[in-house]
Amino acid sequence: MSNLIGTISHQVDSVIEHAKEKYADQMWMFDVQKASWDAVYHAHDEGKRLIYVGACAPVELIYAFDCVPFVLDMIPTRLASTPEVAARYIDLAEKYIAPTMCGIDKVDIGAILSGDMPDKPDAFIYSTVPCDNSRVAYPFICDHLGCPSYCIDVPFRKNEMGFEYMARQYKEIIEFLEKLTGQKLDWDKFQAIMTVSNQTNDLMNKIADMRKITPCPLPGRLLVLNEMIPGMVGHPAMLSYLEAQYAVGQDAIDKGLGAVKEEKYRVSWLQNMLWSNVGILDWMERKFGAVLVMDAFGYQRGHVFRDIDDLDTICIDFAKKGLALPMIHGASGPVEDYIDLVENTMGDYNVNVSMFIGHVGCKHTWAAAKIITDMIQEKFGLPTLYLDVDAVDGRYKKTDEIRALITEYMETIEENK
Amino acid sequence: MSTETLFEKAELRNSSVTAWKEQGKKVIGTVCCHVPEEILHAAGAMPYRLRATGVTDLSEGDTWMSTFTCSYARGTLQYLIDGTFDFMDGVVSSDGCLMAGRIFDNWKYVDGNAEKKEFYLKQIAAPRMYNENAVGYYHDYLEQLRTELGAYMGVEITDEKIRASVALYNETRRLIRELYDLSKSDAPVISGTERLKLILAASSMPKEEYNEMLKDFLAKAGSRPPISDYRARIMLVGSALDDPEYIKVIEDKGGLVVTDALCFGTRYLWEPVELEGEDVLTSIARSYLKRPVCPRMVDLHDEFADLIVKFCKDFQVDGIIYERVKYCEIWGGEGLYFDAHQGMKEAGVPLILLEREEIMTNVGQLAVRAEAFIEMIEK
Repeated sequence: MSNLIGTISHQVDSVIEHAKEKYADQMWMFDVQKASWDAVYHAHDEGKRLIYVGACAPVELIYAFDCVPFVLDMIPTRLASTPEVAARYIDLAEKYIAPTMCGIDKVDIGAILSGDMPDKPDAFIYSTVPCDNSRVAYPFICDHLGCPSYCIDVPFRKNEMGFEYMARQYKEIIEFLEKLTGQKLDWDKFQAIMTVSNQTNDLMNKIADMRKITPCPLPGRLLVLNEMIPGMVGHPAMLSYLEAQYAVGQDAIDKGLGAVKEEKYRVSWLQNMLWSNVGILDWMERKFGAVLVMDAFGYQRGHVFRDIDDLDTICIDFAKKGLALPMIHGASGPVEDYIDLVENTMGDYNVNVSMFIGHVGCKHTWAAAKIITDMIQEKFGLPTLYLDVDAVDGRYKKTDEIRALITEYMETIEENK
Repeated sequence: MSTETLFEKAELRNSSVTAWKEQGKKVIGTVCCHVPEEILHAAGAMPYRLRATGVTDLSEGDTWMSTFTCSYARGTLQYLIDGTFDFMDGVVSSDGCLMAGRIFDNWKYVDGNAEKKEFYLKQIAAPRMYNENAVGYYHDYLEQLRTELGAYMGVEITDEKIRASVALYNETRRLIRELYDLSKSDAPVISGTERLKLILAASSMPKEEYNEMLKDFLAKAGSRPPISDYRARIMLVGSALDDPEYIKVIEDKGGLVVTDALCFGTRYLWEPVELEGEDVLTSIARSYLKRPVCPRMVDLHDEFADLIVKFCKDFQVDGIIYERVKYCEIWGGEGLYFDAHQGMKEAGVPLILLEREEIMTNVGQLAVRAEAFIEMIEK
């Protein structure tokens, strides 16, 4: 595999060819993926700078400088569905780092070390979140690539002190990008992108609210795809994707339909998404009428830019947006953030099945699991299934094993009804 | 004053703690290296760095933190829950690493501790980068700590008090550096096992008393029998190591541990806090952030490796043991940085990676691997 990004881009093309006939009315789900991977793959051909990004990177600013942002963690989450490919990079990384580290970072490191990403980025804007694993991976990747970089030190608490601390760094990123590109920030362009970003976040919030309705009008699988939003926010293709999703959801609501014919259970997953086995979501819907209505990783409540004319406010809003991102919102600060996130999810989405589908690489969420699940038991009277998985390395637990454990749990719930 | 007494101060509940409590004074436990003890000391409390030394039961730690987590963190939580640390009047933590943070988080939720007004709980935020913006942010948390701890202790923590504490702690740092100097010679008069006990003592007793006792120890150190029958000079780097028994296994195989880059070693109290012509808490913030203490600081990997190279030269190190607690991710990838560091490549000091758990269940395996490494590097 000499060019991983190219290979993924071509795979997306192949999937689209296949989908055109089979899922003609669902092309909006594929179009956004094509827009994402094509932009990255062809960035340099089109004379654009390619910027790797981690969590909290100001994507709208990067677009405003006519650069292409690429969330590096999209590689592991994408490759997770092909275990033999993900394994190649995981095994390579484990020669250098602890095998207990997060599969996301192992794939990132392995992919970079393998030489399968020959298209060197022009810069890397990353941050000190979400976890200890990424704090190992990102600075190393940056050093290894030898490209210009900016690291955002993300504050521990989501308060005014933290917002201001981050805001000062976003102002520095403007200077960083101006130096990188040799251009001053084009405010007209930036404001147009912020406007699209606001429309995107508004829609995202409306879609999240739709999922509170019983029956849930949208399937669990869309939560996985929605994880792409922060990395493309401000891009018209992302707005189009959400407009289509909203329309589908609204249509279902109007017709009184749910994502499954008979919704029996409203499920929440409390930790990461199971990228290595997303099909489990479809299977739960079919077998048990159990819909993942919201998960603690993908939970998104997007902030909007309140005043697109004022740089100080914009930078504070970048901070608020960054701190509300998946994983950052619940798991990168004090445990109370995680508790509040889960409590809101359980209540707002009327959840009646709680599952801690625990990615083994995510130790800090495991280390808070008892606090979280005790709260769920106490406030909602729900027990929680604990299931250890590797969200990226499909070799950790096979599909049959995962299904068997979930089946056993669901049968217990049925019996205790 | 017996030197053996100072070694005994490494015990978790040592005689100094007992005496301190008998005077009705408060002991505040700290988690991780980014809680400036000087502020706690200036408040009149005895800072005590929480640890898991000698833990043999992790049942409570496992229950609260799961087994997918660092056993040092689980062990520390275990001791908080099982009453080993029942002499604590509070806990101050930073967000050092995510495991350290969860010790604090879980402790709050055990038996409703967060609601107990008589028990002081505070978690400060420590940036993961060293620059002026970060110093300012960290400073603001230290100011919060000063105000809230002062209210809890019923005292005003003035600049003057903090300056006095800094002077005291800088003296501790100077004495600890002198202690390590003893190991630079060809025939050191102290083993690594003994030295770790003296560092643990530093973290577990009042510094006034410690300084006097360590001065006494250093003054008499010349009369200790020199150690010359070792086979190799070892440096230890890696995860929090608070168990002298671990080092003893290595030293029993002939590897004299002459130095380290451990947070219960040189990284605890070494670089002096420099009180510059600025606000005292800004000076503390700056001094604490710029130290290469552990890989939690994303922009100090090179400085950390530079320090290792320097220590290798200063202490004539033959080999490095890089010990890593299972699930300690902050140390999980440092090998990448070591491999890429030009100074470490040029120094060419052999390095072995050993994974460990806080409970010493794999002594035999450690002994075999340590011995094989020592055989490889002995001259």
